[in-house]
Amino acid sequence: MDAKKTLKILYLYPDMLELYGDYGNIQVLKYRLEKRGFGCEIERYSIGDNNPDFTEYDLVFAGGGADQEQSILAEDLIKYKDNIKKAIQNGTFFLLICGAYQLFGKYYKGVDGNIIPGLDIFPYYTEAIEDRKSRCIGNIVINVKLGDTYTKVIGFENHGGQTFDVFSPFGDVLFGNGNKFGDSKEGFFLNNVIATYLHGPLLSKNPVLADYILKYCLDMKYNDDIKLVDLDDSFEELCRNELLKRFDI
Amino acid sequence: MYNFIIIFTMKILNIILKIFKKNGGNVLGKIALKLNPNIIKNFKVDSQVIAVTATNGKTSTNNCIRYTLQKAGYKVISNLEGNNMETGIISTLLKACSLTGRIKADFLCFEVDESYVPVIFKDFKLDTLIILNFFRDQLDRNGEVETLILKINEFLKTYNNNLILNNDDPNVARLGKANPNNSNLYYYHADAYKNATKEMSEAGEGKFCPFCKTRLEYEYYQYSHIGKFKCPNCHYGENEIYKTATDIDLENKVFNVDGIPYHMHNNSIYTVYNNLAIISVCSIYEIDTEIVQSSLKDFSLDNGRLEEIIIKNSPTIINLAKNPTGANVSLRLLNEDSSNKDLLFVLNDKIADGFDVSWIWDINFSNLKNVSRIITSGTRAYDIAIRIKTSGFDAENIFPYLNLEDAVSKLYETENKKYVIANYTALQPTRKELLKLKN
Repeated sequence: MDAKKTLKILYLYPDMLELYGDYGNIQVLKYRLEKRGFGCEIERYSIGDNNPDFTEYDLVFAGGGADQEQSILAEDLIKYKDNIKKAIQNGTFFLLICGAYQLFGKYYKGVDGNIIPGLDIFPYYTEAIEDRKSRCIGNIVINVKLGDTYTKVIGFENHGGQTFDVFSPFGDVLFGNGNKFGDSKEGFFLNNVIATYLHGPLLSKNPVLADYILKYCLDMKYNDDIKLVDLDDSFEELCRNELLKRFDI
Repeated sequence: MYNFIIIFTMKILNIILKIFKKNGGNVLGKIALKLNPNIIKNFKVDSQVIAVTATNGKTSTNNCIRYTLQKAGYKVISNLEGNNMETGIISTLLKACSLTGRIKADFLCFEVDESYVPVIFKDFKLDTLIILNFFRDQLDRNGEVETLILKINEFLKTYNNNLILNNDDPNVARLGKANPNNSNLYYYHADAYKNATKEMSEAGEGKFCPFCKTRLEYEYYQYSHIGKFKCPNCHYGENEIYKTATDIDLENKVFNVDGIPYHMHNNSIYTVYNNLAIISVCSIYEIDTEIVQSSLKDFSLDNGRLEEIIIKNSPTIINLAKNPTGANVSLRLLNEDSSNKDLLFVLNDKIADGFDVSWIWDINFSNLKNVSRIITSGTRAYDIAIRIKTSGFDAENIFPYLNLEDAVSKLYETENKKYVIANYTALQPTRKELLKLKN
């Protein structure tokens, strides 16, 4: 009998990037894998742990954090820049939310003009809006192209940073702000990297997106075209219908 | 003269509101503040002023302090209805003062919203400030906890009066260092209780030393990030303790301080902490120990804060949970209770709740003990259902209803014991719906 097909997930800075229940994304992935009989191994990395080899993982996840913690870990993450680049080239999927989205760009410029250098893996950059009180906060819905089909992705955004020069956005904004106040585009999406401001957590209300990521990772790892059996997503569908109705979409 | 007219008008308005059975709430303060933005400076106060602030537990703690002081024979004025922002406190003062703005009472006892402590007390007398805890709470409304703490820290730099602090919350104990010249510091602490853990089992803040950024070390966690901690590098956390709870026995609802037993009205670890704050403040004001003992034993808020009622023969425990810690302590109680249980979780996303419900993913729903069914309701009934399902609870036993009445009638289909958790705007409508079924 074949050994159980298993995905290996690296969860970055779980004790620092965990502001908006982002761990929920990993719980959703694990739930959807295990319900289908696949295995899911989650490893965590934070400051002080042994250096991880990013290329060994099928999926790397990082969430959003408080400003203070973000600057501490930016210094740490930059040590792995080359290894991370290699993992992205090799096809490891990266799901980056909020603060992590910003960190993979050129830089983050704070309210006081202080610059936190990013990994500079992608050419976008983020600048905090000068008025501390003004943030893009609220429910958000975007239209995302996954393969050949479009799907509406629902989440919640809460960011002061305005992200510029995104050449390949995640989706078109149907409701909410996006990369900047009143933007028509949200996030960054290139092959095996999704970076977005959507929390909620993102995957909890978007099972189609969760399965898209899982299928990508499984196909990549086992060099196959794996069919994911349908799960009972009736709560998710009720939730989505209710929200889309509320936002009149 | 101008203030006299404001006070006079507000008093008339208060009478009119009363006739129409409307509670002044924040309205009087709101209008008075518009007419004179400095109105708060014009009250004449000789009373001792006590304020309680925190993320969780303000209302219960403040109301119990007021209850105890009254039992001790003092005249106490307080914002009992939880109107804890500037306008609410001014409303309370307007109702209580004479036409010249004089407050006649032995004590003024306020619960104050965390972000309003610096706003109110920069211009108003404050003799004793009690800080219970800081947790993540409605991030889309309040912002990050750190910003809030820094604001209070700034205020405390020039504050020289009594400061009662929870030494087991690293976010709170740090405030004792804001003013090195203030010697009126009173830290309280609790020994580990039976279900304290070595690892953090629920979402929490304050993992790093606020002074030297070293990772904090914990001897034990009681709940969330509350526990015995210290910084291994700069020894932050090692303070002289004023009151320590020992021999905590939640099954018998009792703990000791200075060798004296205190019985509690309920059996949660966070009540022990709130009670420690009450014991500390009463000790500072030399309130008779027996009065404190009997007041902690008797006092209960009965408005959905760990309220217990019998409905259709099922004991039902209702608790408010505005944030992950509030929900986690409720689930702790549920898991510490060996009965067969059903849970109702009501989640709204109205303006006072915060629109962002992502905090439910910081609630620890894993390994619920003896829970047969979970009913969910509120405007975000489906979000919380998804959350619970993902934690491993069988989806077949989760029943979401947008309609609260349907949810409550589903809840009482069995005779199991009931636990009800509701967030801010959901609490009173849920209570009302439950009370309809009371025999």
